[in-house]
Amino acid sequence: MRVLYSWLCDYLDEKLDFKTVTSNLSRIGFSIDDVKIIGADVDDVYVAEVLSVKKHPNADRLSLCEVSDGKKIYNVVCGAPNVRAEQKVPFAVVGARLGNEVLKKAKIRGVESEGMICSESELGLADKSDGIMVLDDKLELGKSIKELFPPDYSFELEITPNLGYCLSHYSLARELSIFYGYKLKEFKPSKLSTPTGRFDIEIKTDDCLRYQGIVIKNIKNKTTPTYIYDRLKKIGLNPKNNMLIDVSNYLMFELGQPTHFFDLRNISEKIVVRKAFKDEKIKTLDGKDNALDENIMVIADSKKPLAVAGVMGGYFSSINDDTSDILVEIAHFVPAAVRRSSKILGIKTDSSYRYERGVDVKLSELAASRICEIIKTTNQDSEIYSITDVKNYEEKEDIIDIDHSRINRILGTAISDEKMDEVLRRLDGLYDGHSFHIPSYRADIKSIWDISEEVARYIGYDVIESKTSMPVLKSKDDPFYELKKNISSKFSVFGFNECVNYDLVCEDEIKKLGYDINGVLKLSNPLSKEFEYLRPSILLSLLKNLRYNSNRGIKSTKIYEYGSVFGIAEKKPVEKRVLSAILSGSIDETIWWKKQTEEIDFFYTKSVVEYLLSNFSGIRYTQGCKEKFMVSDMSADIWLGDKKIGFYGLLNPDISDMFDLKSEKIFYFEVLLEEFVKKYSLDFASLVKKPKKVSDLQYGIRDLSILVDKKYRYEDIYRVVSKAEDLIEVTLIDFYDGKNIPEDKKSFTFRFVFSSESKTFTDEELNIKIEEILKKLENSFGARLR
Amino acid sequence: MDSNEWIKKLGDIAEAFKSFSESNVDITFLEERFVGKRGELTLLLRELGSFKPEEKKLLGAKGNELKNKIVSFCESKKNLFSGFKEYHYDIDITLPSKKYNQSNLHPITITLNRIIDIFQKLGFSIEWGPLVEEDYYNFEALNFSPDHPARDMQDTFYLDLKDDKNKNYLLRTHTSPVQIRSMLKYKPPLRIISPGKVFRSEAIDSTHSFVFNQIEGFYVDKNVSMADLKWTLESFMKDFFGSSAKIRFSPSYFPFVEPGAQAEVSCVFCGGTDKSCRVCHGSGWIEMLGAGVMHPNVLKNCGYDPNEFSGFAFGAGIERFAMLLLGIDDLRVLYENDLRVLRQIF
Repeated sequence: MRVLYSWLCDYLDEKLDFKTVTSNLSRIGFSIDDVKIIGADVDDVYVAEVLSVKKHPNADRLSLCEVSDGKKIYNVVCGAPNVRAEQKVPFAVVGARLGNEVLKKAKIRGVESEGMICSESELGLADKSDGIMVLDDKLELGKSIKELFPPDYSFELEITPNLGYCLSHYSLARELSIFYGYKLKEFKPSKLSTPTGRFDIEIKTDDCLRYQGIVIKNIKNKTTPTYIYDRLKKIGLNPKNNMLIDVSNYLMFELGQPTHFFDLRNISEKIVVRKAFKDEKIKTLDGKDNALDENIMVIADSKKPLAVAGVMGGYFSSINDDTSDILVEIAHFVPAAVRRSSKILGIKTDSSYRYERGVDVKLSELAASRICEIIKTTNQDSEIYSITDVKNYEEKEDIIDIDHSRINRILGTAISDEKMDEVLRRLDGLYDGHSFHIPSYRADIKSIWDISEEVARYIGYDVIESKTSMPVLKSKDDPFYELKKNISSKFSVFGFNECVNYDLVCEDEIKKLGYDINGVLKLSNPLSKEFEYLRPSILLSLLKNLRYNSNRGIKSTKIYEYGSVFGIAEKKPVEKRVLSAILSGSIDETIWWKKQTEEIDFFYTKSVVEYLLSNFSGIRYTQGCKEKFMVSDMSADIWLGDKKIGFYGLLNPDISDMFDLKSEKIFYFEVLLEEFVKKYSLDFASLVKKPKKVSDLQYGIRDLSILVDKKYRYEDIYRVVSKAEDLIEVTLIDFYDGKNIPEDKKSFTFRFVFSSESKTFTDEELNIKIEEILKKLENSFGARLR
Repeated sequence: MDSNEWIKKLGDIAEAFKSFSESNVDITFLEERFVGKRGELTLLLRELGSFKPEEKKLLGAKGNELKNKIVSFCESKKNLFSGFKEYHYDIDITLPSKKYNQSNLHPITITLNRIIDIFQKLGFSIEWGPLVEEDYYNFEALNFSPDHPARDMQDTFYLDLKDDKNKNYLLRTHTSPVQIRSMLKYKPPLRIISPGKVFRSEAIDSTHSFVFNQIEGFYVDKNVSMADLKWTLESFMKDFFGSSAKIRFSPSYFPFVEPGAQAEVSCVFCGGTDKSCRVCHGSGWIEMLGAGVMHPNVLKNCGYDPNEFSGFAFGAGIERFAMLLLGIDDLRVLYENDLRVLRQIF
């Protein structure tokens, strides 16, 4: 809410400076923003008269003026085109303060100027102005401009939903008086005379708690009183200078009570507060046609809805230029009901905003007399024809038993009972030290916890010290957190970087990867098409990162992301935690003079994947991944036991064009983390692998080159050669399938390492072992020595 | 002394030297004891002056043999190092080394891990919650009644999906639903943190994003107070920002806590002394967290008696901490994933 400093201070006996007001407000939970200075922020500027205007001898656009403040005549250089003799103007003498600047004596084009005729912007009365400010002729010479336009401040006050009772100037002043002990000026509009007329009002829904309707007739002078017009303008509203419109707004910002003024001519018979009927319609003040239903409360007459209760008036029952008889509505509604109407119709107003937060049901009388008072002041002939007040709520007294020690236990403080009672007494005049009567405007206070907050606000939150008697608790290790740390440390061996992306993606990109869009989770209220769906795969995000970086000259992209992927199963959302990585370009970013830069290929990717997963036993890989966007031949599924938990390999090169990427060789890796989390043991001892004994005796090493048919795969051959007594290591040291060997053959060269704890092997013994392996290869694959 | 006695003495000295030389005895001591000015062997050789020339010659040769042995033994022990040969290579070692890709965690993760580690020291355990939530956990159980304006404080993304029970799903707007899920799952005492992504339907600018990360923390036990909360947060801040960090509470509102507070940390960047401080603008305080005493309705919704149990809860945005760590003013930098930036951190 926008607050005007002088308006707020009007209700307090003490004159508080602006700083005190704002710091007091912020200490009790209101935050202040966007402070604007209004009025003339100047010293020593006075009303003066221009006596004569002559041309400046050395400049076409400047004038030499004689200016009088009633005591003395000054010679002044003025650059404004609108300066004329006999004008009354604001005049700053040398030494005057204008905002942050002090006016100095100056020579302008060779002529000395003894002061300055000011524009509105120089006085701080406008953001921009062309020419000097011309004042009213009737003003007395020498009158201080500061007095004429007294400085004021307006500021935006953030009022959280629990403080909804403070959405007006008067209630803010009341809040300050309670928490700081300032004396609140008595707000006592003149008493109403008992009217003679009668007007029927009927409440047909429990969502309306009270409806007071006042018929006022014969209102002729509809000019808004100046102070109301000014104040509304200063808090950023747009007053219409029609009292019947402006006063309603004014009362809302003065007392916090929304009201509505109907033109009596448009009301048929009586007022009925009820739920709308199905298929009923109303055109609201904003010109919008609204279809109503039984969830929306309306103010109706005997025939038709006149207004959406608490939200907005109807177009056809509103105040017109020729209105002279009105019905003033001062109503109280159940907050949730107003909120529902406002949500359904998509209409938010200052009125609905206050009703949603709760308006004090006991404010009705005060508001009524205040409205009548304002109207009567300028329309002595007007008639308060009738006052009808229908109450639809039970008067009850809500009491909280005050347990002072409980308050101290909640806050962790040692505040004395007396100190607590100070504020409770200010909130509740009847408070006796035990029973606290909740004031009708404080719907937010319900329990001793709420009372504790009031006590803390009163004494200041600093009363809560940083101290504890919390017992020591042991923190449990978290498998997901530990797993991520483990995997990330392995990624760093290969120079990967972690990315964090938005989880929302656009429809087109999802479709490009071949996903069925019906299986992807969609937002019903997205910010834009670009962020409409929850990503079914992190690949989409990483492709974006790849494009972003390669467009900026990055040559080696090795990135990964932990995140959730989403889908739908049996009409329910599904969410899984996965790890994805993309590899593209060269292995190293920086070219090294010593060695040529290597490109990332399938086997580099394979090395990364196997190293990352090396902690887990039971991992298997099978060639040929079925994902639509992968190249089947150059990819593999990853299995943990008999569960498929991921895949890796080459992305379909078509993706490069689709996603506007430079490289066609992009490798991708994705693994479901949920299964790993289940398997990831937090038992540190079991994570440590127990090393096998190593022999101190010399190893026996032999190489063997064989030729086999091309149809056999490395894995099959390895399985056969890797099983032999005393064999501790088999390494493929060469692979060849090119020239100089038969076309249907390929060649493998293995290095075998034999070791025993009890002996070193003789040449003969090693030869026998190799012969045995060769024989097995001959039998299984028809292999020949190369 | 006759020649036999002399030879016997020489034998004794040889024996003694032998056993000394096999032990780790100090070389200077050996030298002095046997061949020094008043050494045993020196004195014995001096005795030869009174012997006949033939005997003198014979015995002298034997004595000197032992003396030379001892002297060269001592010398050899003294001179293990006799200097290296010099080797020369024609190389310019200022040529560049191989530059490996600078590998890093994402700054959000770096920040989050630091925060988690600190809270683990304070006895907090991690719980994770789903990003797609139900209205009940995200709002209702947290004391946001269906038509309460507090719901407007968090602009919510809803899912275009209704299951058979007509249940509505949304993207969680805060990490607080994990309070409910954990309290329903475990028994007190509970001391839990829960980090993760949250979503708000807000346009992106330098300090707002529709996706960001939060960390939730809460403690439920008997006799938990707002002072415990302040101590916990201050301990955390001291670890994160340095031991001079202090916490200041001011009133604030979140439906699931009462009393509610906003926690500010003292500006460790300027100490509140610099009017032009980019972080605190001279106020000396930086807004960091929302917090408070758990609302009795939240406890009740989880089946806890608010007269028996009490708790505190707090929540903070991770990006804010990350931005302070990195010294950046624009949140969007964190989501660009620009490798030229990511490779610089750490």
